[in-house]
Amino acid sequence: MSLAFDDYGRPYIILRDQGSKKRMKGLEAYKSNILAAKAVANTLSSSLGPKGMDKMLVSPDGDVSVTNDGSIIVEKMEIQHPTAKLLVELSQSQDAEIGDGTTGVVVLAGKLLEQALTLLDKGNHPLKISDGFDRACDVAIKHLETISEEIDIQANEHEALIQAACTALGSKVVSKRKRELGKIAVTAVLDVADLARKDVNLDLIKIQTKTGGSVEDTRLISGILIDKDMSHPQMPKEVKEAKICLLTCPFEPPKPKTKHNINISSAEDYKKLYQQEQQYFVDMVKLVKDSGANIALCQWGFDDEANHLLLQNELPAVRWVSGTDVELIAMATGARIIPRFQEITPEKLGKAGSVKEVQFGTSNERMLVIENCQCTKAVTILIRGGSQMIVDEAKRSIHDAICVIRNLIKDNRIVYGGGSAELACAIQVLQYADEVSSVEQYAIRSFADALEGIPCCLADNCGLNPITSVAQAKSRQLQENNPRIGIDCMELGTTDMKEQRIYETLSSKKQQIQLATQVVKMILKIDDVIAPDDY
Amino acid sequence: MSQFLQPTILLLREGTDTSQGRAQIVSNINAVQAVADVVKSTLGPRGMDKMIQTGPKVTISNDGATILNLLEVVHPAARVLVDIAKSQDDEVGDGTTSTTLLAAELLKEAKPFIEEGIHPQIVIQGYRKALELALEKLEGFSINISRDSPQEKRDTLLKCAQTALNSKLLANTKQFFSELVVSAVEKLDPNILDRDLIGIKNVTGGSVNDSFLVDGVAFKKTFSYAGFEQQPKRFENPKICLLNLELELKSEKENAEIRIEKPEEYQQIVDAEWALIYEKLDIIVKAGAQIVLSKLPIGDLATQYFADRNIFCAGRVPQEDLLRVQKATGGQVQTTVNGLNPETFGTCGLFEEVQVGAERYNLFKNCPQSRTATIVLRGGAEQFIQEAERSLNDAIMIVRRCFKANKIVAGGGAIELELSRYLRHYARSVTGKTQYIVNSFAKALEVIPRTIAENAGLNSIEIMNKLRQRHAQGGEEGRWYGVDINGASGVCDTHSSFVWEPSLVKRNALCSATEAACAILSIDETVKNPKSDQDTKMKPRGQPGRPPMGMRR
Repeated sequence: MSLAFDDYGRPYIILRDQGSKKRMKGLEAYKSNILAAKAVANTLSSSLGPKGMDKMLVSPDGDVSVTNDGSIIVEKMEIQHPTAKLLVELSQSQDAEIGDGTTGVVVLAGKLLEQALTLLDKGNHPLKISDGFDRACDVAIKHLETISEEIDIQANEHEALIQAACTALGSKVVSKRKRELGKIAVTAVLDVADLARKDVNLDLIKIQTKTGGSVEDTRLISGILIDKDMSHPQMPKEVKEAKICLLTCPFEPPKPKTKHNINISSAEDYKKLYQQEQQYFVDMVKLVKDSGANIALCQWGFDDEANHLLLQNELPAVRWVSGTDVELIAMATGARIIPRFQEITPEKLGKAGSVKEVQFGTSNERMLVIENCQCTKAVTILIRGGSQMIVDEAKRSIHDAICVIRNLIKDNRIVYGGGSAELACAIQVLQYADEVSSVEQYAIRSFADALEGIPCCLADNCGLNPITSVAQAKSRQLQENNPRIGIDCMELGTTDMKEQRIYETLSSKKQQIQLATQVVKMILKIDDVIAPDDY
Repeated sequence: MSQFLQPTILLLREGTDTSQGRAQIVSNINAVQAVADVVKSTLGPRGMDKMIQTGPKVTISNDGATILNLLEVVHPAARVLVDIAKSQDDEVGDGTTSTTLLAAELLKEAKPFIEEGIHPQIVIQGYRKALELALEKLEGFSINISRDSPQEKRDTLLKCAQTALNSKLLANTKQFFSELVVSAVEKLDPNILDRDLIGIKNVTGGSVNDSFLVDGVAFKKTFSYAGFEQQPKRFENPKICLLNLELELKSEKENAEIRIEKPEEYQQIVDAEWALIYEKLDIIVKAGAQIVLSKLPIGDLATQYFADRNIFCAGRVPQEDLLRVQKATGGQVQTTVNGLNPETFGTCGLFEEVQVGAERYNLFKNCPQSRTATIVLRGGAEQFIQEAERSLNDAIMIVRRCFKANKIVAGGGAIELELSRYLRHYARSVTGKTQYIVNSFAKALEVIPRTIAENAGLNSIEIMNKLRQRHAQGGEEGRWYGVDINGASGVCDTHSSFVWEPSLVKRNALCSATEAACAILSIDETVKNPKSDQDTKMKPRGQPGRPPMGMRR
């Protein structure tokens, strides 16, 4: 920190722990911030696109995860640098809002910062640069809207949705099965979507993973899967036309919440107490039985005594069902949650086509599947895969796909992927730059260059020559006035992304450009960093 | 011989640091300069931000008061600066950086006088005189804006909000946010304008343009128990019951003793407990409530009970949100359900639970007695939103101030220059040392336009000359010339380009800056006690307490 001296040349302390604070000012601060952020972006850039590579991340506990999802990578990298952390949050906010495109947003921010660095070296005022970026961003967004196309999500058995899901899945480890997984994701989302309100509550889609089998075995259960089994091994494994009784009270004699103790003075009393307890169990089972229920799901446990009685009365039961599962089951089966036995009525029971216990592989693990629920408002995707890592990555990929489909239901406008949208915007921004007479012109031009960075990066990751392929695509876009020309990553022989059916949502692209610009602007506005020196 | 033998007198504890005299004043002034230097580059529309890391937390800010606070200044004289910035923040909300800069510049101008041997009190007197004149003139210069029609009034408020937002991260979307802020303030009761009734909620994700205003209350979905999802999530004109009551099965009294003889009676105790809670729930349902909000937890039993009866409930609603719901809906918070009167229920046009980013929010819209508003802020990064919140806070404060006082002055350094011109003119008519000092005050005022120009990367000397020349011409014409950061010439009439600020902000800034400068000038001795061990243990880091110091006139 800057030291102040009094007239005798004695330095004096102005700030707390002054000696241990580090301060960077002006150009030094910009550069260090930009370089830190760029380092993060560079790490991610090789993950972009259908042929992007995965990263292996080892957590402090030794857990290994392999992923291609930008937001997960930056999160697990545990970045310390304050500016670099901004990029982490950028990626996560894209994840929270859109769910997809988390890598692209960081790469774009990195490209923008790279451009800003050159502009700074030329002596531009950082705020002029950020003003220019802002104006360019507006132009790009407007252009995106003009080139976007509305698609009919209903047509051709939701073909458009499946294609969009495939685009999202294309870059992941499960890309081989993208069509199947895409279909599963589309069906799942449509099952729970409220098309009138254009709203999808993603809480209703449960994604359950189970190691074993292969990715092809992944399936959609139009109901609920819970990681529990029947409380007694002799209970029937399947209940058809199930009438489900959802209990949030234990199969135990009731206890008052008030602290209490029981004093027994004679053997007779003891017997009485025992009988009383027995009576409770009998009454409870009877109440459940009388209501017509043929299966009971309980949020709490019950002891062997009750378990035995339930078996005798041929009432299959499940214990320790988690609260969220109870809620999901209630939504799906139309059951009301019952807080005590006295309140059980036939109307409060939920109905499902079948409740069955399924077993996986050779291991002794069982799960309970509730299918054909009365009001199917909840679905489960059961993901299988060879190893925990694959299953985890598949789960993240499906989540991305689901998010894309949800966004399309909310807003059915799409742009074409493969870098074509970015290229089209870059061309438009470049044209606009020439109309601006002030210093911002350079910044706007740089923004266009940064946008071109995305297709470059895509081509690079696919093993194509980035400069040739981008130059070709760009000139064709200009000549044919066709904003759909992009990079042929999959080498299908055409660069028209409409033919390749690479769909991306408009909202995701818009968000990417806006968020990246926002963060870059923020980083450019910092001219002073005060931090503890020790880190 | 004894008269030569001076006994050592120990007056102060060992380790106490004392320094006094003129050197002390100069050293204090230097310390103040060092602190002011930190915030200097944040002034004006092209001001930069500071990134300050305190522990694991990183703050990015442009707000003078926030930065000074986070710097953890310990130097006693420099802390005065932090305090005036804070008082400016509390009082008017904006102009914290300019206050700090002005105070530092006043001291800088005073330094040569002190070094030449002029008594500090004379400097202080001179400054006070100059301040008096400046304030008088400020009144005279400020423009009464006609606000006969609501439209004109709104326009003025918008202009002021935009000026406040100019230097912030939100500068590019200031149109949008000034609308938001003005609409929010207009919702308040014009007589009280309670700042607490404007809630600002942050949701990460989305772009800033996705931020929106709710003419009512919005708060994040509270923790919910199983059964919550089965409750209806949308009501029109609902009856809202506000409680400060725990709706859970629980032991009513810790130390009660009940003796029962027979096992059958055991069941009765259990039933009694259930009856207690059911009775409460039943009263609420019977009274016709459709939405139940409580500050205390609402348990799973109650959640399911309400779900069965198509009632929405939310427990653990934060205090300030509940308070705002109360204001907005006209309901009253009840601490018991006994004798629950439907008249205490509030209502609103529309209640809805909506998804905002990754969070779910409860929105109460179109409230009849709406005296409250909530701004839901969106943005890319946590720090971004936090800074946006601080900026909006400044704007809200300014608009609030403007709402009452209808006098404005032009910003961009115009008013400072005009006051400076006037004081220079006046100085020539006085005799004695005061002439110099009033002149210095006038010179110190120029720091504001100079810094704005410097921060914008303009040639400040050239700009200052142009501005001085404009103002020297006198009259109405040149009065409002200030720094123009966009145009080629660097100067423009800031009044006609709508850089407006309430005159109150300037008034307060001038007053507190002069006060602070005078206070520092009048200190000629600092006695700093050594830190006692206990003291350091007691104070947690990050909350700098004022170090023990003695001040003596």
